Amino acid sequence: MKRFALAAGLAILAPLGANAQTTEQLVKGATDTSNVVNYGMGYNLQRFSPLKQINKDNAKNLVPVWNYSLADDRSEESQPLVYQGVLYVTTHAATMAVDAKTGKQIWKTKVDYPAETPRIVCCGIINRGAAIFDGKLFRTTLDANVIALDAKTGKELWRQKTGDIKEGYSMTVAPLVADGVVITGISGAEFGTRGFIDGWDPATGKHLWRTNTVPSPDEPGGDTWKGDTWKLGGGSTWITGSFDPESNTVYWGIGNPGPFNAAVRPGDNLYTCSVLALDPKTGKMKWHFQFSPNNPFDYDAVAEMVLADMTVEGKPTKVLMNANRNGFFYVLDRTNGKLLAANPYVKVNWASGIDMKTGRPIETDVTKDAREGKKVTVYPSILGGKNWEPMSFNPQTGLAYANTLAFGGHYKSEPAEYKAGEWYVGMDLTDVWEWGDGPRGHLKAIDPMTGKTKWEVPSDIPRFSGVLSTAGGVVLSGQLTGEFEAFDADNGKKLWSFQTGSGIEGQPVTWEQDGVQYIAVTSGYGGVYSIFSGDERLANVPSGGSLWVFAVKN
Amino acid sequence: MIRKLSIWTAALFAAVLVVLLAVARTATPSAAQQPAAADQPQIDHGKVTFAQKCSHCHGPNMVNAGTVTPDLRTFPNDKERFTTTVKLGKNNRMPPWGDLLNDDEIADLWAYVSSRRKP
Repeated sequence: MKRFALAAGLAILAPLGANAQTTEQLVKGATDTSNVVNYGMGYNLQRFSPLKQINKDNAKNLVPVWNYSLADDRSEESQPLVYQGVLYVTTHAATMAVDAKTGKQIWKTKVDYPAETPRIVCCGIINRGAAIFDGKLFRTTLDANVIALDAKTGKELWRQKTGDIKEGYSMTVAPLVADGVVITGISGAEFGTRGFIDGWDPATGKHLWRTNTVPSPDEPGGDTWKGDTWKLGGGSTWITGSFDPESNTVYWGIGNPGPFNAAVRPGDNLYTCSVLALDPKTGKMKWHFQFSPNNPFDYDAVAEMVLADMTVEGKPTKVLMNANRNGFFYVLDRTNGKLLAANPYVKVNWASGIDMKTGRPIETDVTKDAREGKKVTVYPSILGGKNWEPMSFNPQTGLAYANTLAFGGHYKSEPAEYKAGEWYVGMDLTDVWEWGDGPRGHLKAIDPMTGKTKWEVPSDIPRFSGVLSTAGGVVLSGQLTGEFEAFDADNGKKLWSFQTGSGIEGQPVTWEQDGVQYIAVTSGYGGVYSIFSGDERLANVPSGGSLWVFAVKN
Repeated sequence: MIRKLSIWTAALFAAVLVVLLAVARTATPSAAQQPAAADQPQIDHGKVTFAQKCSHCHGPNMVNAGTVTPDLRTFPNDKERFTTTVKLGKNNRMPPWGDLLNDDEIADLWAYVSSRRKP
């Protein structure tokens, strides 16, 4: 009884001071409108907010509240977190805490890494954000360390090395805290690495488990690799997984096999281009589903595995959805990995469809020719139908809002020679793109079960920003040319636009504080498209990172 | 324009010199094309090295917007500065490559960069 009274007393005190934040709060993150405690605005990664103060009628009155310089001119892909009035944001070079109302910096802790590190970072010098739990912030570093910081002071509490940059390992992923375990992925499949997912004790940093995404010959799935190819088999895990607390299951997407040249590695190459269902306490696999077996085209399957409860064939169903880089939009039964739908959401020519019984792609001659070493024009390109930039699922409209890519690529395999810490792709990188004449990207409202587009907004230079949707009927996203924009969720009509000063590759979030709904997004470009596409139309878009916060002016 | 002219003058002078030397030695008429032909394999090798080591920051075939990372087609005609930057890195942005690329490979990269210079 005494214990209860004490707990009740603490609960009353809670709003007055910065409290260590709990598992319960993480589980309720998707509906907690006063904080943003999860990557993806909820364990389900829906990036949907029930807030309505900003809506389709007043979005035109959005104005900046403050701007905070990230003092960095690389790509700003970090998703901000907000907890009890403090906003936490990261770059590759620092972690920062900022007063969410005033934009005033509370603390900043620099991140150092060896000068050689960018050699083995394929796609932009970035960090995608932190995780918060029990008074600590967790983040990864470009040189493949996981660190914990005191959320109040920014002081480093522990640090663990996960891989060696000399072997091609790097980290950009925002960690996931699920069932009291800090879970991290790894980057580097373009450098002859072997991927994994790790579990860490949040309090001490003790390593709890490692699940290899490419099995050794004596492990299940090991027979899908020939000889020693598994040792350099790729399978990165560079985007944060989703978590279903009810079944205690983490869903984590697995990247491309290495090298791209598929002839080097005959077999299905499990678990590359797959999703794994994992037990967060042990890392043990519950089931897996492979989207693209033996893939030549870098159809990495790391992008967000969004969880939702939907009606499928008249039955309420717990689903997982994924706008796969291979151009198909997948819906799976997340309780068992059974395929429910797989339809193209962009132009696809490498496969004519997905076999609904086996889940395997029905490959065309384009893929056959590519495997035989012939030069092919393939849709989507190696950047996929959608790259990493996360979509939003709005349970009220039942639509997924995603920034999709509308161009193809040239693909020709080459012999791949492995040298530690160097590119290991086995692909001709001198002639990669088939741009076509039209817009290179669209913001699309997609029906998950059919892949069909309800509306789309084209852009000549494709969007590489995350998407946020709200119960106010608004969809928010950014352009590589700097505009942060709001659209009507029902028809795609543009409601508002604001020039942020640099290209946007960030992940917008929203929360409410003292009766005001705020929206935050980072500006600052330098990610995979901006540095790897050779799009000279970006020459008049300055680099330079900052964080913007907006609200509606009364 | 003046600079362009002087480069042409120098090139012409060099070509004439090569022809004269070649004629003096072997009297083979095609020898005049030898210097350019000798550079091409270097440029080709540099192009491959660039695709593997540099293009993920400096753009495919050196084509980029020149904002986040430098547009190397505008790099000054300064081989020493190029070699030093490649070997040692610069401003904690450009990583050092001295332990992975040897002098010949850097010279080939320079041949490729020089061949792509914007007029």
